[in-house]
Amino acid sequence: MSASAAPKIEVLRVSKQFGDAAAAPVLRDVDLACAENEFVCLLGRSGCGKTTLLNIIAGLVPPTAGEVRVDGEVVTGPGRGKGMVFQQNALFPWLSARGNVEFGARRSGLDKAGAGRVADELLDLVGLRDYGARYPGELSGGMQQRVAIARALALDPQILLMDEPFGALDEITRLDMQAELLRVWSSRRKTVVFVTHSIMEALALGDRIVVMGGGSIAAIHDVGLERPRSRSDPALLRLHDTIWQGLH
Amino acid sequence: MGAAATRHAAVLQGAGFIVSLLLLWELASALGWLRPHSFPPPSRIAQGAWELAVRGFPEGVRVWTHTLVTLRRIFSGFALAMLAAIPLGLLIGRSPTLDALTNPVITFARSVATLSLLPLVIVWFGTGELSKTLLIAYGCFWVMLSNVIAGVKYVDPVLVRAARTMDTPGREIFTHIVLPAALPRIFAGARTALGVGFMVIVGAEMIGTIEGLGALIMEARTFYRTDVTIVGMMLLGVMGVLFALGMEALERRLLPWHRGLSEVRR
Ligand SMILES: Nc1ncnc2c1ncn2[C@@H]1O[C@H](COP(=O)(O)OP(=O)(O)OP(=O)(O)O)[C@@H](O)[C@H]1O
Ligand SMILES: [Mg+2]
Repeated sequence: MSASAAPKIEVLRVSKQFGDAAAAPVLRDVDLACAENEFVCLLGRSGCGKTTLLNIIAGLVPPTAGEVRVDGEVVTGPGRGKGMVFQQNALFPWLSARGNVEFGARRSGLDKAGAGRVADELLDLVGLRDYGARYPGELSGGMQQRVAIARALALDPQILLMDEPFGALDEITRLDMQAELLRVWSSRRKTVVFVTHSIMEALALGDRIVVMGGGSIAAIHDVGLERPRSRSDPALLRLHDTIWQGLH
Repeated sequence: MGAAATRHAAVLQGAGFIVSLLLLWELASALGWLRPHSFPPPSRIAQGAWELAVRGFPEGVRVWTHTLVTLRRIFSGFALAMLAAIPLGLLIGRSPTLDALTNPVITFARSVATLSLLPLVIVWFGTGELSKTLLIAYGCFWVMLSNVIAGVKYVDPVLVRAARTMDTPGREIFTHIVLPAALPRIFAGARTALGVGFMVIVGAEMIGTIEGLGALIMEARTFYRTDVTIVGMMLLGVMGVLFALGMEALERRLLPWHRGLSEVRR
């Protein structure tokens, strides 16, 4: 990743206000650039505007001021290589787990047979090979979230926007999924914006950690540690303390 | 005890309860606590049912005719309502402008008790089959329409968002996301509408016919045949139950995913 390369995603002085002008802004003059294939973690307390920022990057919500550019072009709507994993369950309840993943694969332009293959492969990847026929309503919350990740990957987007995708998972599965995500990311090379409120998760995953607070970016930390990272690495723990103290 | 055995026991219990009630009723009648003409005992009702099956009431119009005619009327009204309400509801549900425009009319029309239209309908369309079909269709239509609109309108926005992040074109968002998401609500509407049909039919058959369960009930009243009235009433009830069960089975068949959802929620 050379510093001179044009950024993949640019967030330029983005502000967001819901409702009338008297309301307090949720985002204020946010500036952020993500390099191609970079793994960026958005970290912050509940309600600090992480989902809002992600939605704006996705093109699902228009900013009140400022703009987002992808590959230098202003984002005007969702799609076009920006895959998203939502914070809440967004699986189509009338499609089986496999059907949901296939839906993503079909939308990436694959034919039925190709989409089926991709779906099987991805269900395998998220450890749900035997659950393909189940409807989302018949899966646990963590399983649903893994299907949602598989569906976003099936789209094979250049940009993957993930909103607390592991929030519903137990600690053990969460660690497994983090490792899996890193594996997918390093083999398929995607630009990832990953929202989390776990400092440890951000430290395990991100190239950079963007700490949000009060509607703007409070700090940006370069992690700069080799992966896979040890959770007891002193450098990592020092950074943990720095981030923690910065949040107060 | 297995689940099947538990269900068996529950059914037996239910049946036992009903049988004891009937016996009690019979007894009360035999002991003179209930006046047999106002509260005919089960044995008298059974006789009425037999008479209805063999000779007919009025003579020659037997129970099968009454039932079939009633079913035919409910169905033609119901089908007419579905044919009109589903496309219209999909259209209105998609358009906030149309929705705002039609909402007061729909609320108004829903609030008008269907049978209060009976005199007008007779003036406009006479006392023939058309009037009966239209009355039932009217009752079913508004219930169905508001359910279809709500189904389309209240689709979970995150599903639409998810589809949009996957570059789904607008037309496909409607056919692949909005429509399936609205189906449970549409089904619920159809079930309620059918129930309305069963309620309206009795009133609709009060005029211009001697065939149909509604007509049977009216005719029996004229002759103070409470036993026959009760038979007609019970037939309507049984039919209502059978159709509700049928619709449920159909829904389980067509929307297998929905059953799973409701079980998780419980
Ligand atoms: N559609 C909306 N209308 C009005 N206010 C909104 C809307 N969406 C979000 N907000 C407000 O914006 C703020 C930030 O919300 P957002 O969902 O971005 O937080 P978050 O950082 O993702 O929180 P969490 O970690 O709990 O998911 C909140 O105060 C919320 O009430
Ligand atoms: Mg959020």
